[in-house]
Amino acid sequence: MASSQHVLLSPAELAYLHASLSLAPPIRLDGRSPTQFRPLVAETGILPGTNGSARICFADGTEAIVGVKAEVERTAQRPGEDTVFFEEGGVGTDDADEEGETRDGVDKRKGDASWVEMTVEIPGLRDDDSGTAFLSAMLSEALLADGEFAKRLWINRRFHWKLYLDIILISPPLSYPLPLLSLTSHLALLSTRLPRLKSEGDEDPFFDDDWAAAPHLYPRTAATTTRPPITLLVMAVGNNIIFDPSKEELTVADVALAVSVTSATSPSTLSKPHTTDAEAAAAAETDPESGRNLRLLSIRTIDPPSRLTPPGVANAVNAAYGAAGTQKATLEAQTAAETEAVEGVWKAPRGGAKRAVLGALVQKVLERGGVVDEVLDALEAVELG
Amino acid sequence: MASLKRSVDSDPFAANISSKVYVRSTKSGKVQKIVREVYLRQDIPCSSKLCTSCLDTAPRDAAGRPTPFVLSEAPAGTSVFRQGHYLVPDTNAFLTAMDLFEQSSAFYDVIVLQIVLEELRNRSLPLYNRLISLTKSEEKRFYVFFNEFRLETHVARQEGESVNDRNDRAVRKAVAWYGQHLARTKSKQVPAVVMLSNDRDNLRKAKQENIPACSLAEYVKQLKDADTLLDMIPEDQDQEMIKEKRPGEPFYPEYFTMSKMMTGVKAGLLHQGIFNVSPYNYLEGSIRVPAFPKPLVILGRENINRSIDGDVVVVEVLPRDQWKEPSTQVIEEDAITKNENADAEETGDIVSEKERKALQEEVKRTHSKTTEGHAQPTAKVVGVVKRNWRQYVGHIDQSSVSQSAQQGRKQDTVFVIPMDKKIPRIRLRTRQVAELVGKRILIAIDGWDRGSRHPTGHFVRSLGELETKAAETEALLLEYDVQYRPFPKTVLDCLPKEGHDWKVPESLEDPGWKDREDLRGLLICSIDPVGCQDIDDALHSRPLPNGNTEVGVHIADVSHFVKPNNAMDAEASIRGTTVYMVDKRIDMLPMLLGTDLCSLKPYVERYAFSVLWELSPDADIVNVRFTKSVIKSREAFSYEQAQLRVDDNSQNDELTTSIRTLLALSKKLKQKRLDAGALSLSSPEVKVQMESETSDPIDVKTKVLLDTMSLVEEFMLLANVSVARKIHEAFPQTAILRRHGAPPKTNFDELANQLRVKRGMDLSVESSRALADSLDACVDPKEPFFNTLIRIMATRCMMAAEYFCSGTQAYPEFRHYGLASEIYTHFTSPIRRYADLMAHRQLAAAIGYEAIHPTTRSRGRLEAVCKNINVRHRNAQLAGRASIAYYVGQALRGKATTEEDGFVLKIFSNGLVVLVPRFGIEGLIRLRDLADPEPAAEFDADSYTLRTSGSRELEVELFQKVRVRVADQKDEATGKRGVKMELVSVY
Repeated sequence: MASSQHVLLSPAELAYLHASLSLAPPIRLDGRSPTQFRPLVAETGILPGTNGSARICFADGTEAIVGVKAEVERTAQRPGEDTVFFEEGGVGTDDADEEGETRDGVDKRKGDASWVEMTVEIPGLRDDDSGTAFLSAMLSEALLADGEFAKRLWINRRFHWKLYLDIILISPPLSYPLPLLSLTSHLALLSTRLPRLKSEGDEDPFFDDDWAAAPHLYPRTAATTTRPPITLLVMAVGNNIIFDPSKEELTVADVALAVSVTSATSPSTLSKPHTTDAEAAAAAETDPESGRNLRLLSIRTIDPPSRLTPPGVANAVNAAYGAAGTQKATLEAQTAAETEAVEGVWKAPRGGAKRAVLGALVQKVLERGGVVDEVLDALEAVELG
Repeated sequence: MASLKRSVDSDPFAANISSKVYVRSTKSGKVQKIVREVYLRQDIPCSSKLCTSCLDTAPRDAAGRPTPFVLSEAPAGTSVFRQGHYLVPDTNAFLTAMDLFEQSSAFYDVIVLQIVLEELRNRSLPLYNRLISLTKSEEKRFYVFFNEFRLETHVARQEGESVNDRNDRAVRKAVAWYGQHLARTKSKQVPAVVMLSNDRDNLRKAKQENIPACSLAEYVKQLKDADTLLDMIPEDQDQEMIKEKRPGEPFYPEYFTMSKMMTGVKAGLLHQGIFNVSPYNYLEGSIRVPAFPKPLVILGRENINRSIDGDVVVVEVLPRDQWKEPSTQVIEEDAITKNENADAEETGDIVSEKERKALQEEVKRTHSKTTEGHAQPTAKVVGVVKRNWRQYVGHIDQSSVSQSAQQGRKQDTVFVIPMDKKIPRIRLRTRQVAELVGKRILIAIDGWDRGSRHPTGHFVRSLGELETKAAETEALLLEYDVQYRPFPKTVLDCLPKEGHDWKVPESLEDPGWKDREDLRGLLICSIDPVGCQDIDDALHSRPLPNGNTEVGVHIADVSHFVKPNNAMDAEASIRGTTVYMVDKRIDMLPMLLGTDLCSLKPYVERYAFSVLWELSPDADIVNVRFTKSVIKSREAFSYEQAQLRVDDNSQNDELTTSIRTLLALSKKLKQKRLDAGALSLSSPEVKVQMESETSDPIDVKTKVLLDTMSLVEEFMLLANVSVARKIHEAFPQTAILRRHGAPPKTNFDELANQLRVKRGMDLSVESSRALADSLDACVDPKEPFFNTLIRIMATRCMMAAEYFCSGTQAYPEFRHYGLASEIYTHFTSPIRRYADLMAHRQLAAAIGYEAIHPTTRSRGRLEAVCKNINVRHRNAQLAGRASIAYYVGQALRGKATTEEDGFVLKIFSNGLVVLVPRFGIEGLIRLRDLADPEPAAEFDADSYTLRTSGSRELEVELFQKVRVRVADQKDEATGKRGVKMELVSVY
């Protein structure tokens, strides 16, 4: 779905909104602080037939449901890979099994992006709508970007779990739904459990039939804080960085960005990020307090709807206000109206994000005890099951 | 935002709804999370006749009647629960001691909880089926209480609770509820509700919660015949209660995990099949796997690894250097392990000293062979997929009984020697050794753990003294799984109300006459063995004006009386066939039908299903038609009577001429069949003559073949073939047919080689025709029996004929190899074979007599029926033969030993098998039986010759005619009275 929605605001209103958001500190329509999120209600385990599910409802009335289903799938053997998978089966002694374990210890686990299939459904839109496809791409990109997620689906060298994420927006898309869908997916993955594996080594997998014994995809022990990624919508107006913009706020954004962040366990097991993003690499640092190690996974710019808003007309060039000067004067005034900002007159923003703004934004996102920590803490507090 | 989940506070019905979540793995490898919603109700009755409140609310059927309550108002008491009691066993109790619950002396009024029933089904299907049949029996009063669906007894799993703990808690909760519930009935004597469990933890918790509970042993001790019943509590369970598992060196390698086996089988590295033990060597087994044309050999205890004949096992092929030739030695378990002590804690190796010696000799022999090609691939068992244990008949090994046990009542461990030689001895703990010694007993195997050389079992019941007719016959029936219980009432209810007075209705308007042809005017007669009561076929012939002959085969119209899918049909389909023992017949259908209403007795009118041919003088079929009919047989001949009549030239009445016509035609038919390559095979058949009053066997006779026998046979074959064509044409997918697969050539390898080496004869097996011809050529001018001997041996190389459903095979596979017929079925004995009954129904539908019943058309069901009747058919044959063998022994009993001619059928390095045609018996003569001390012997496997030297000098070779002394002897090993042979001389 397109981020641009028809917002029925006049240029004057837009100009007012823009002006108030540009103040330091900015004044938001609903009185929130720049980093404050709108209140949301969340619950998990709403779909009993799934491996994990969640539902989140934003205060503006948008609501999403995510269901996660897992299936066992045979891993395609590629030529050249070691296809001998049963050598220890023939011997059948205990040492053979240990051998197998030690080999696992080396961690030959490999993940593949095709092990996750994600579908996004937005009411009223075709599933091949460019907006929907873009949303889906962004969400799965965030999920797979760290290269760690697909590894969790590894069962043995011959089998893996195939994960189906069905993301459904059940309300009309009142605001750009990316953060909602991302948070709901995050929560659903947090609550996802996979049947406990009973077989060993590279045997055909065989599972415990006790659902209560099924471990979580993201185990919640103190030792591991690895969490599924979240994608946040952040916008900048002037030099102000504003989190979780409402629909109206987004219409005056200078820049809108989708920022994907994840939290990994500890830097020791963390392989050096393969994101080329220099900033992300620089920002990957441990937070000693929460034990959370935030990693920036991706930043995508979103075409803000503000670009499509009609500009206001300055009185100086408005014929209705008697701006019927000379031909030349009119031309100058018009040029000025196109290029320079006129106080109190709305003008659609032009150009990309400024480097300084981007830098500040990344800093803000990865800040210790900052917004992301807050969001993750809040989601973690949601009762599972 | 209102939660989408069902909340307990807001929903007034929330208390009535619960859910159950589990993971299901399907065969195709899918793994699904399954959520079942459970709707809890309060109208599930407790089913105690004491309770009135449940009766008011119990659900009613369409007629407004509730199901009658099961549990007695005055249940029996025990020494502890004098006021009477209901039992609530947990799963473990059923798993370990189902035999106890089947006792008629105790265990009445049992509440079977749904959770227990479900758990039992998951753990053991056969036990589950036994429990289900118990719940159906009216006198045992077993009631299935759906505790999971009753609001008060439903238990939700708690956080961190294991499934087992939760189920145990559910059982305790149900017991507690029953107690409270019954207390509310204002009866004078409220029965106790007692939980029965062998789980110590469960018992402890029950005690804490003040719930009456007993372990199996505790409970049984409160009963009157405690000693007998105590034996039925399986041994290991007993030990679990008494002492912790003793730490022993495991004797056997551990089994692979199920998933490891399945992966291996799928990958083709392991093989799955049914384990068969060689009848001559209990340490040698074979397994036929789909991957190889020949069976794999499994040698030695360790490789057999606790599998028992009939188990579905997974094997792994051993490396080439361990390949061996199948043994040429006879190894009997009792001979080698005779002196083992059942009670002794087993230490050391699983292979006993003597066994090891036997194995060494084996290796020596294999190594002396230069030709390596002889060695056969061997395998070892790595796991058991499915145990096919049943209950075994056996007797206690006298030598394993200690002196003290003979007197005292203390628990003692003894060995039981199963009647079936393929089953290893079973270790049994019992308190009643003194009573059981010398009896035929039924035992069940409980398990075989790695630490024990022999499987352990428990006593089920005693069949009676060894060698009494009743005990031995029942033993045979049990061993061959013949259903011999009397027909239940539901079956008898399906019989016509008129009973023996039933007659063919006189009025032709009667619905019974609809579409029936009146053939009462034809000169029909039946020819059967002497004393045959269930006459299911009759014949007639009459000349036609055009010079051809009309021949009719009339078969009892059983399908008129046995309607599809009623209780009688179900019972017949389970029994599958009538079993003929020497002195007893186990009927497939109730007597009234078999010997009266369906029997084509002479001089009375009977319903029949007729096949009518027009045959040319050369016995070619001009046309054939099928019809339901009414016939009146003019005479019931025995084979001998008919033969006399035909041979008597003075008899020229119409009936006799028609039999002569039939005889002439049958000879032409037979010739045609032989020309087509039909085999004339042979098996030694004898008949036991009984004294008429006591029915004690007095003599054994070989059966004589008469022309009239082959007369009947030929026309029955013709009828079967004609019917097979017709039903296959009408139901190409679902016709019930019978096929006899061509035997794989390798089956004949051994015999062909033996013939070539010993007699220079060739056995060609390319086709049944070639085989028939080469069998004909196998003649020893000096020895008329030689040909029969070869035929007997050839028969043993054949495949078994089988019933099948036409949709499961391609047309060329329909062929009946032995009869050389393209298509064949069984139609002519519906009284004693279920397959014939199905063929009748299909034929009736094919000729438009009646609409086909869905069960006669459903392929899945037909396949199941075929599978069952194939098994039953085979078991019936085996039981019949075993019965003859037993009676031959009895007939010889006490008689002076006789000397008979015999032939060497098989030869081993330490013994030989001799067939005595006169008695139709085979006996094993071991080297050590030849002389004392045992003569030294040299065995030449290539020329099948055994030379002995030393104490007795002999040279015996295969097929040789020998003189043997036959005496009866009680076989100490199996407790069977059998025939003992002694070699007198070699011809």
